[in-house]
Amino acid sequence: MNVRARSLPLLYLLFVAITAVVLFPIAINVMTAFKTPGDLMSSSPLSLPKQWSFVNLKTAFEKGNMLVGFRNTGILVFVSVFLNTILGAMTAYVLNRFDFRLKKLVMGMFIVAMVVPFYTTEVARFQIIKGLGLYDSLGAPLLIYAGTDLLQIFIFLQFIEKISAQLDESAMIDGSSYVGIFTRIIFPLLLPASATLGIIKAVDIMNDMYIPYLYMPSKSLHTLSTSLMTFVGQRASSFEQLSAAILIVLIPTLLLYLFLQRYVFSGITAGAVKE
Amino acid sequence: MQKRLVVVSFLFIPVALLLLFLLYPSLRLLQFSLTDWNGMSKSFNYVGFDNYVEAFRNPDVWKALSNNFLYFGIHAVFIPLEVMLAVFLNNKMRASRFFRSIVFMPYILNGVAVAYLFSFLYNPINGPINALLEAVGLESWIRNWLSDKSIVNYSLVVVSLWRFSGLHVVLFLAGLQSIPNDLYEAATIDGAGPLKKFVHITLPGISRVMEIVLFLNVRGALQVFDIPFLMTQGGPGLASTTFTVYTIQTAFKYNNYGLASSLAVILMLMIIVFSYLQGRLFKGKGESS
Repeated sequence: MNVRARSLPLLYLLFVAITAVVLFPIAINVMTAFKTPGDLMSSSPLSLPKQWSFVNLKTAFEKGNMLVGFRNTGILVFVSVFLNTILGAMTAYVLNRFDFRLKKLVMGMFIVAMVVPFYTTEVARFQIIKGLGLYDSLGAPLLIYAGTDLLQIFIFLQFIEKISAQLDESAMIDGSSYVGIFTRIIFPLLLPASATLGIIKAVDIMNDMYIPYLYMPSKSLHTLSTSLMTFVGQRASSFEQLSAAILIVLIPTLLLYLFLQRYVFSGITAGAVKE
Repeated sequence: MQKRLVVVSFLFIPVALLLLFLLYPSLRLLQFSLTDWNGMSKSFNYVGFDNYVEAFRNPDVWKALSNNFLYFGIHAVFIPLEVMLAVFLNNKMRASRFFRSIVFMPYILNGVAVAYLFSFLYNPINGPINALLEAVGLESWIRNWLSDKSIVNYSLVVVSLWRFSGLHVVLFLAGLQSIPNDLYEAATIDGAGPLKKFVHITLPGISRVMEIVLFLNVRGALQVFDIPFLMTQGGPGLASTTFTVYTIQTAFKYNNYGLASSLAVILMLMIIVFSYLQGRLFKGKGESS
């Protein structure tokens, strides 16, 4: 299909307009973050800073508890993605390579889990987390995030199907156990898929708000999202500082997007389009 | 024997996590929904379906639900536009990769940061959006975007569109890219025009992605939470509350776990029923074409 040459400028205009709509909020945020309070009061919110000041970023970083936020978000991302990848791969391996009586039931449970609502389930999950003694600890979100889901299993299954069962068999003949087959053959071959899925999971965890908010109220356990929430609660009116805090929280996923965009896209579309 | 050991040991943790954090809580919701539990006391009474009756009689619940439908409806209206943008991006126009990156960017940004960023943009005093309207001579359009009851929901839906439309475009684009090019070439040889090609090749080619997007829209719109929770707390009054915000507040703010649980169960049923209906409707159409 070719777009007619005449409508092409119009098309570019449309996409330039969309680009403006996407970038406008971010540009305003960056400009505001670098303004001094006096500058913000006296000039239009659309104007560039008279002088670029880093004071707000420093204040937001220190008073906004951002270092703690980075640390906790980092721990959650690395540990959860690591556990989640291994558990997902193990589940898919067993579901693909073995026949057992409860297979349909296990798949069925993962399907049912797809319709369990996100936030309202916390009403009941809250009691379980408390009962397990996980309340106000990193353990609560870690275990919640580590669990695998249907989409992840589905994508891993697509990849495992392509790995010839003969590889398994020849390894068996060489005296390898099932665990050995998984760790030395299956899992390494799943690594490309794991990378894309892991990045999507990492973005989800970095951007999650309600689970850390509900289960980790202590200041020392704040993530980037909840640090920002607390900071906004404290300084609702000083927009130059808020913008600076917002900017700090935006940066990690923006960087990730900038450098690993290919994986982000393949992760997002992996479940939607059959290979 | 080794086989059974492997199956059990490999599945134990994933299935245990699934049961413990997703399926068992869902069953507990069912149980709580039949009680008058306040979330703290050791005992509670079974009250039958009282909570469900109350949920249906409560006008606030219906108000919240109608707000969810606003998100659903407006996002649904945007779906054809999103398909169109994906088609344009798929035409290998120059800078198409750049535009794809831009369109998708809002989706990966931190939702809390985005919500607060828009709160600032909407600020009535010296806020950037009002300043922009002033700069282009549209002073008469200036509003209290987040405190005017008749506008607040639309202001919030705009944030939701800004964040999630790009995801749909990228999904549709992936669907389009999976359509083999020779289909179009064959159609051209057979003398089919652009419209015919769109109806008979493009639309069926993206039907799987369309199903996914429609499901995501139902699930997302019925569960809108962080945007109103962070930006307005459902206010002013209950003007911008959504079903999920209302449920969460019923539980954690007003300690009415019984009612909140029944609302959660109703939400789960709605997700199932609406996804099913929409799927049926869409499948029926797809087969007839």
